[in-house]
Amino acid sequence: MSDVLLEVKNLSRHYGALKAVDDVSFTVAAGTILGFIGPNGAGKSTTMRILATLDVPTAGDVLLDGKSAIDHPDKARPLIGYMPDRYGTYDDMTVLEFLDFFARAYRLKGQERENRVASVMDFTGLFPLKDKLTSALSKGMKQRVALGRTLLHDPKLLILDEPADGLDPRARIELRELLKALAAQGKAVLISSHILTELSEICDSCAIIEQGRLLATGPVHEILSRTTGNAVSSELVMRVWKGAEGVDAALARAERLLLEQPLVAAVTVEGQAVRVRIELPLGAAPAAGWVEETSARLLRALVTAEIPVSSFQARELDLEDAFMNVTKGKVQ
Amino acid sequence: MTTADAIDRAGQRLADRVNPIVVKELRQGLRTRVFWIFFTLMLLACLVISLIAFAAADGVGKDGRYYFIAYYICLSLVQFFVIPYSAYRSMSREREEETWVLLTLTGLGPHRILRGKMGSFMLQGLIYASAAAPFLLFSYYLNGIDLPTIVIALIAGATYQLFLTSVAVSAATLAEARIVRALLHFLVLGFLAWGLIAGLTSIFGLVESVRNLWSDSAARVATCATMFGMLTWGVLLYESAAARMALATESYAKGPRIAFMVQIAGALAFFVWGAFASGEPSLYPVGAITMCAHVFFVGLFIASDRDGMARSLWLTGSKFSLLKPGALRGYRLVLLMLGAVTAVFVTLTLLDKAVSDWRNFNLVLGAPAFAALYLSLPIIASRLLRHPPSQTAILVRILFIGIFVFGAGLPPLVAAIIGIEPDHVLFNLFNPIVGMVNLGGTKSDTNNHLILLYAVTFGAVVLADGILKGRDNPPAR
Repeated sequence: MSDVLLEVKNLSRHYGALKAVDDVSFTVAAGTILGFIGPNGAGKSTTMRILATLDVPTAGDVLLDGKSAIDHPDKARPLIGYMPDRYGTYDDMTVLEFLDFFARAYRLKGQERENRVASVMDFTGLFPLKDKLTSALSKGMKQRVALGRTLLHDPKLLILDEPADGLDPRARIELRELLKALAAQGKAVLISSHILTELSEICDSCAIIEQGRLLATGPVHEILSRTTGNAVSSELVMRVWKGAEGVDAALARAERLLLEQPLVAAVTVEGQAVRVRIELPLGAAPAAGWVEETSARLLRALVTAEIPVSSFQARELDLEDAFMNVTKGKVQ
Repeated sequence: MTTADAIDRAGQRLADRVNPIVVKELRQGLRTRVFWIFFTLMLLACLVISLIAFAAADGVGKDGRYYFIAYYICLSLVQFFVIPYSAYRSMSREREEETWVLLTLTGLGPHRILRGKMGSFMLQGLIYASAAAPFLLFSYYLNGIDLPTIVIALIAGATYQLFLTSVAVSAATLAEARIVRALLHFLVLGFLAWGLIAGLTSIFGLVESVRNLWSDSAARVATCATMFGMLTWGVLLYESAAARMALATESYAKGPRIAFMVQIAGALAFFVWGAFASGEPSLYPVGAITMCAHVFFVGLFIASDRDGMARSLWLTGSKFSLLKPGALRGYRLVLLMLGAVTAVFVTLTLLDKAVSDWRNFNLVLGAPAFAALYLSLPIIASRLLRHPPSQTAILVRILFIGIFVFGAGLPPLVAAIIGIEPDHVLFNLFNPIVGMVNLGGTKSDTNNHLILLYAVTFGAVVLADGILKGRDNPPAR
């Protein structure tokens, strides 16, 4: 892993008795994406606002490139690109005017400004829309304009608060690609989202927060291993065909058979589907392809027992499982 | 390089130096329907007035003054209403759509953003004024008005537009909640409608009496005081708006506190000038009460700042600076200003040998004591309650109203109920209204009462200061 760019140390923000953020610590390295997840009111936006130097903490520190952003917010701001959950565009300006205005506000001058605006439009794919009013853009395009604004001063750290909220699937996929490209450029990205499947595909690690407290932080598989107590878990989903004996009988036989197999931790029957949770024993190192190998073994056993399996697939536990395992659904 | 290229480059360089907010706001403003509709209507109205003037002209008339006023009405409707209202809307939108946060993150800072906004609306006013200028000049050729009067009226109008724009922009930064914003919208509309009428009346008065400015000292003092009041209140409101919009990490309190001190110093200087010019000692208590009320009113906003300040501000400058944010430093600054006001008026009263009435002296001393007492009480009460710090300012102001109403209304009521005089001296010792009246009255033993008032005020000040000091701690690492 590359150098740590952002280090959050024991950050707290209290409003009287309410602890909006309580002793939160995590790090983000350059060139990586950290997903910041938690239920509504968990303290994500408050933390992000403090990191963006828009608010001050009650206690704790934020080190950006080794220097305190709390003690020297003016020096930290040029390193930060912050995109709030509301895009905030001026409806009566064209895309080019909007980006040019913010480039001026960032004190970019003359040719340097023109080059920077062109480079950002090129990166975000906004060139064909440069003369369109921002009010005429789709939500996905507005979001690109907002991301472009965030990139104008070439920040090292990007703080994106719910950037995928309300976007259609295509816009979400495009955003994902943009974020990956930004991380590849060496930028550190801190992103919050409710769409956990989105985050699991792009994040190198995640931080889970609830009621202002950080519950878990690190790569998704590490959080999963911590929360399940095993090195690695996985889930298989199979369906049966009614066959000669009928669905219920086939499901019952399948459940009995699966529970007898090694590494099978739990079997749940839902309609015509069977969910099988497989887990490595505590402390066992996951060998490459162990999920595929176990799946093949279980499928062979089912077929040998003449259970009419119509579909069988493995699903690795993901961020959603980690989130559900770690959080309790409490809000303050 | 061709001349066109050179001009283009020079234009680009100039644009790079101009505040980007000015460019943005002008660009947006000139695109709006409101601008073009009012611009066209103003020109049409001026044209119609000119045609009437042309038709009625007989070559010897002296109707220029009336036609000037007619043209000025067309211009002032835009200058005193449309432009300040547009500034209010522009600022409100910036907050509602949360683009303000994005602007502050660029490093522009609230002062530069607000200056840019006000500058662009002043430029819009200039565009309107330049369109109306040929017509205003035409009124000069109709006789009855001279060029200096036209110039003075235009300068006064521009100053007034700046003041109204400052009020409107400042008002837009006041409210957070939607319902309060809606209420504020109507208040601003009402204020601007009143401002339009007041502005027009004043400008007409100025046009009628401008010649007296050079000969009549009272008119000169009144004009200077009005201009001073408009200017300092405009600056104070602008600084307050910038402070409200500043991030907690910035030294937001410096601007409004300096503006406040300059305003107090200037007002005292005006008063000393006026007092010496008129030689009227009965003005001193009036001046002391007015000034203390003013210090108290503005001080209520300054002293109800949040507790402490950002860690970055603890690390820079002197920790004793009263210009740094925080309720403690704001409270002390207001007390300092009350002390300055008291010192000036006590000195004036003592210097005036004609003052033989001790009641004036009591009033001059009583006013700051009441101001300090009623400033301290809500601060003590608010800090004793458990509440989020963000609510402190509102809470202090609400508590002030409650305590003031309680302090002014309850003693006479209780006195009446138990069958003694409603304006009983001891019963109303801490009553900010009846107590002051008693101090200036003929009732006996007011010196002892004044000492008692000062003793209680001193205790309240020490307690409030101690509470604020206890809450003024740097954030932990």
